[in-house]
Amino acid sequence: MTTLHLLSQSPFTSPLDSTLRPLGVRDGLLLCGDACHALQPGSAPLELLEHLPASIAIHALEEDLQARNLTAPERVQVVDYPGFVELCTRYDKVNGWL
Amino acid sequence: MAKSMLIVSRHSPWSGLGAREALDIALAGGAFELPIGLLFLDDGVLQLQPGQRPAVVEQKDLAANLQALPLFGVEDLYVCRQSLRLRGLDGQPLALPATALEGPELADLFDRYDLVITL
Amino acid sequence: MKFAIALFAPPHAPSSRRALRFAEAVLAGGHEINRLFFYQDGVYNASDGIVTPQDETDLAAQWRAFVERHALDAVVCIAAALRRGVLDAQEAQRYGRAAVAVTPPWELSGLGQLHEAAQQADRLVCFGGV
Repeated sequence: MTTLHLLSQSPFTSPLDSTLRPLGVRDGLLLCGDACHALQPGSAPLELLEHLPASIAIHALEEDLQARNLTAPERVQVVDYPGFVELCTRYDKVNGWL
Repeated sequence: MAKSMLIVSRHSPWSGLGAREALDIALAGGAFELPIGLLFLDDGVLQLQPGQRPAVVEQKDLAANLQALPLFGVEDLYVCRQSLRLRGLDGQPLALPATALEGPELADLFDRYDLVITL
Repeated sequence: MKFAIALFAPPHAPSSRRALRFAEAVLAGGHEINRLFFYQDGVYNASDGIVTPQDETDLAAQWRAFVERHALDAVVCIAAALRRGVLDAQEAQRYGRAAVAVTPPWELSGLGQLHEAAQQADRLVCFGGV
């Protein structure tokens, strides 16, 4: 079963490594809220994400990128709320990392 | 057939209601005879440190609730080995029997369950 | 698809707003919500006692309006609610408390309702943290 992992905490206060540990190769990530700061250019979290296997799709919630004046790198797909809902149907289950 | 649920408990025992309320979901699931697994991850592993004395800080002892898990049919208990290691608990006896899992095994664990709730 | 949506964060948390916008998108996308379940600090979203400054987003009011507009099954965990002082009339009377914070459409009930919703839905999506 594939899992869509929802991240919403800043990776600088809530390190990514525990959330990335149970990631399966066909799982997906959706960055919301302060988790979008993982896309800060030149940051350690961004490097960590960029080194994930290409089979793991990474997404970010559009409104949170815009609010924070962040741009998604090429590998990250930006979604709106309808896209968020569609992602939930695409994976077998959803896990919200609080 | 009932869907299986993995509950991921990440809070230390005396940091508020997180640990207690994760346990309550597991116990409720067990009471309804649902297939439940419980994974202790990050500070959640600290719930399993033996010999704690919560009464000293006027906290209710979680140990009774933890011991109740098998009575409610929740026997699939897991703990993240890396989380134990970081906290100097790897290789130490734990308050409850739990299977210690490394990274890739955690991915397999998540894979096996139909539902996940992380608290 | 049928969605069960759980919320563990209070109305001032960004995740509460995110959960509501998600729930709206679920229905707008032609899907169903079989239950909303509020647990942990999420119970505060059901409180009548929240007073929000006029120039701020009133999430508690928006959740209520959403639930009423779509006649959704909106359950608040009773154990979590009692601990946080979010009581309905029955519990307020039972415990001799003056403040009634929970009124319909919100309903206080047990964690069994979360499990039931999760079992019956196609997807369970949980929101919380900050």
